[in-house]
Amino acid sequence: MSQGSVILKLISLPISIMLICLGIMTILGGHITPGGGFQGGAMIASGIILSVLVYGIGNSPFELSHLYIEVLESVGALGFVIFGLIGLFVGGFYLYNVGTDILNVVPQAIQSVLHYPDVTNAGIIPYLNIFVGLKVFAGLSAIALAFAGFKKYVEEGE
Amino acid sequence: MISWGPIIFGLILGLIVGSQIKLNGNDTHFTLGAFIVVFIAGFILAWQSGNFPFYTGPSLSFAFLSALIGIFVGKLIFARSK
Repeated sequence: MSQGSVILKLISLPISIMLICLGIMTILGGHITPGGGFQGGAMIASGIILSVLVYGIGNSPFELSHLYIEVLESVGALGFVIFGLIGLFVGGFYLYNVGTDILNVVPQAIQSVLHYPDVTNAGIIPYLNIFVGLKVFAGLSAIALAFAGFKKYVEEGE
Repeated sequence: MISWGPIIFGLILGLIVGSQIKLNGNDTHFTLGAFIVVFIAGFILAWQSGNFPFYTGPSLSFAFLSALIGIFVGKLIFARSK
């Protein structure tokens, strides 16, 4: 699986770290710029996949355990569903954008933490982007790791 | 005006990903100096990205920079050796 090139092994971890940072940046700007949770999560997963392809699944610096992927996937899905249910119960529709001041109990400093200073208010969209990003990152990484592990399993069997 | 949202959530997401970086089994040895060079390169990248994602405040992508810091802090704190 590993390519064996020293140059590849030297450069792919820094590139993976930069890709992950770019993915996080894309997630956090998804409500006012192109991109969002899916795109950012796919960029983070691409950093993981690059490391797995270059170093091999056994030597990859990003060692994602089964529990880690499971927890991230569950947190992403649960967060999305919980925000949807909040919209259903407060606004009357599933995923209704109820804003950040839910039931008038959220302090102003927390309300405006991801609020772009403009006439438009994103409300819950940035938080949905974060949960979707976590879920996509975990899901795509799990698929790539499963494929890499299956290839290793086949190679060991031959 | 500095927006705290990208800084806080960038740090959290960076910590989540950085907690899984483990270098002991790697055949290419990344030393502390290598990580300092990566951090400087990341800082330049954040600076050249401009004030993304929010177009107010200093010309520096705080989301990128906080994610980078979060990855390194997560690696230092949570990442255990193989």
